[in-house]
Amino acid sequence: MLSRVADSVFWMARYLERSDNLLRLLRTDYIASQDELLDYDWQLLATQFGNPAQPLKGSAYRDALHYLVVSREHEHSVFNNIVRVRENARSVQDYITKELWQSLNDFYHRIRDPQTETFIAKQDPVTAFDILLRESIVFYGTVDVTMNRGEGYTFLNLGKYMERCLQCLDILEFKRKQMEKTDQASVQWKYLLYALSGYEFHTKYYKNALQVEEVIHQVLYNLQFPHSAGYCLAQMDRYFQRLLPVSKAEYFNEIAGLISEMNQSIQAYQHQNPIVAIEKLIPDLRSKLFYFNQRLATLYFGYS
Amino acid sequence: MPTPKLLSAYQPSPSTWDEMLLDGNIRQQYQIFFESLRKSSITDLARKDELAKKLFMSQGITFTVYSDGEGIEKIFPFDIIPRIITAAEWAHIESGIKQRLKALNLFLKDIYHEQAILRDNVIPSALIHTCSNFLKEMVGVDVPFGIYTHISGIDLIRDSDGSFYVLEDNLRTPSGVSYMLENRNMTYRIFPGLLPQNNVRSIKDYPDLLLKNLMALSNRQTSNPTVVLLTPGIFNSAYFEHTTLARLMGVELVEGKDLVVSDAKVYMKTTAGLKQVDVIYRRVDDEFLDPLVFNPNSMLGVSGLYYAYRKGNVAIINAPGNGVADDKAVYTYVPQMIKYYLNEEPILKTVPTYYMDNREHFDLVFGQVRKMVIKKTNESGGYGMLMGHAASDQQIADYKVEVEKNPRQFIAQPMIQLSSVPCFINNQVQPRHVDLRPFALYGPSGIEIVPGGLTRVALREGSLVVNSSQGGGSKDTWVLG
Repeated sequence: MLSRVADSVFWMARYLERSDNLLRLLRTDYIASQDELLDYDWQLLATQFGNPAQPLKGSAYRDALHYLVVSREHEHSVFNNIVRVRENARSVQDYITKELWQSLNDFYHRIRDPQTETFIAKQDPVTAFDILLRESIVFYGTVDVTMNRGEGYTFLNLGKYMERCLQCLDILEFKRKQMEKTDQASVQWKYLLYALSGYEFHTKYYKNALQVEEVIHQVLYNLQFPHSAGYCLAQMDRYFQRLLPVSKAEYFNEIAGLISEMNQSIQAYQHQNPIVAIEKLIPDLRSKLFYFNQRLATLYFGYS
Repeated sequence: MPTPKLLSAYQPSPSTWDEMLLDGNIRQQYQIFFESLRKSSITDLARKDELAKKLFMSQGITFTVYSDGEGIEKIFPFDIIPRIITAAEWAHIESGIKQRLKALNLFLKDIYHEQAILRDNVIPSALIHTCSNFLKEMVGVDVPFGIYTHISGIDLIRDSDGSFYVLEDNLRTPSGVSYMLENRNMTYRIFPGLLPQNNVRSIKDYPDLLLKNLMALSNRQTSNPTVVLLTPGIFNSAYFEHTTLARLMGVELVEGKDLVVSDAKVYMKTTAGLKQVDVIYRRVDDEFLDPLVFNPNSMLGVSGLYYAYRKGNVAIINAPGNGVADDKAVYTYVPQMIKYYLNEEPILKTVPTYYMDNREHFDLVFGQVRKMVIKKTNESGGYGMLMGHAASDQQIADYKVEVEKNPRQFIAQPMIQLSSVPCFINNQVQPRHVDLRPFALYGPSGIEIVPGGLTRVALREGSLVVNSSQGGGSKDTWVLG
């Protein structure tokens, strides 16, 4: 397939996944701030997920939600991510299915709808999160039902799982920062699981009162949990292998090597003390993912 | 008769050919359609109108208007009531366009080779040599199968007596065919059952015919040539059309930066390295095709593309240099071309045209300027036009100064009324003026025209300007079987 198209499909999936993860985190933390985490630090959240060059003005929760979700000016807002998703989709409109294009176009119109902003700024923000998350679920469903399993599907999944892995690390790091500032560590671990849609799974799988080691195990290593870093890396490996017959051998070997290295290092961390491991693992894995992206862009997307 | 309410606002001008009404009675071809409309109320029609708008919006058949830094999505105005053409009218149109294209194609071949038509003084040499769209780089170039005008859109209008006139030939990169297809898709959603009931001929074959022709033009000995559609990119106003056609044909939609020329062959950059391209359906103008030969600042083209084309290693569709044949001053000589090359009488009429570089014509035109339309010879899209009946004295005076500066760049034509058809506007059925752009495909096996085309509507009351950039809309076009 065209390098430019592969690149756009990859980024379309990355921005969509980024938006989805951020919306889940915001939904969880907003609800927590109303109920359990009463001194919620919105500035900390905005710093972790916002653009440092365009810092949040104001400290109220409505300011932060507006900044992160519907702001037109803030480049890292979900709104601007969805605009990018649509721009990428538009430039490959002939490649993706008509249904997929329409689902993304609907997402775009939904987040532009003044009603969405009203929910965030004045009414119940959870309604806005639910409406938007539904759109992203429709996207994933539409990909599953309508897209052919060719190269485009592979690059879409590479983008999705790479971004999900990065978001998993970011959210974990953010929760650690929140814990440092408050004395509600155990509650924060719970909300970490909520934010990754993994709380119910945790209770079923570990059959235990919440323990830090087990939460970390689930979030980083559990291969049954679709938001764990380990699961994402395994999926990247699985999808990338499909490119073997259509790739130049030297390109394929280099990228496959990078993915394999990441999979091996996460397995190695699994045997270390969980708290110590995450301090080292987050920066290590993050830099490896960025390098992977850079090489993929050079070899497969025609970046020079 | 329909309920008086539905047609109470329908008052076509007496000096206009109305396509639905004849002496207050509904013409045969509109009867089945109007019979079904009689059963619906204005509210039903308003609901259909609303549904059409929603469908266009949700399908992203929109263009973006930028204001205050944020893009606003707008849909191209669509009118829900179809325009209906009889089988006999269509047969006349079809034969007329085929005849015209044959002649125009022979003219292009001649003008870039022997120039017999100039030597025989059928067309003045000066007219061609002063034409800015005459591409000297094409002189002596043999194009595959001798075909230049693979894809064309011929604009037709109907005068007050109902006869068809050719207003313009679009032989470069005519657009609008995706709207022809989308408008039809809209019709079966808003008027279920009516297409089969009226025996409307299908236009669905267009992408298949186009692909068949494009593949036939490949020069490489391969059963599966690589065809691509070259677009200027997502900011082009016709981008939606480019993606639609690429998708319907299953070919790659490429931008200039996706292509590279090496050893006089064209390649596209893929995830598995370079892949040779055989046929390029380009939607990029001649000027921007190859910065080494044409506009050196072009970011949209491919360096070396023209060399690869001349070597015969890639086919470019439409052929470069067609602008000399659809120049508005050359237009008036098409009847002579038809006689010269085909020895036939023109089937479709041509609007009388006056040359502004001819002093007699100039005086005649400005003597009755209120009845004239003055146009630039190399502009399209309704730009740079003076409509005499609607212009102020000051506008006319200013325009006259412009014409005098470079008279070869202007022609004038008497104002033609354009026929009217029913449209649903402001919750009323009202008459509006229309033209018709059928799309013709010229391949190695001949010329094919899908039965239909794009009907463009001047949405403002009384307006005769149908261009989408000037407040025009479109509607579905039915050719009855």
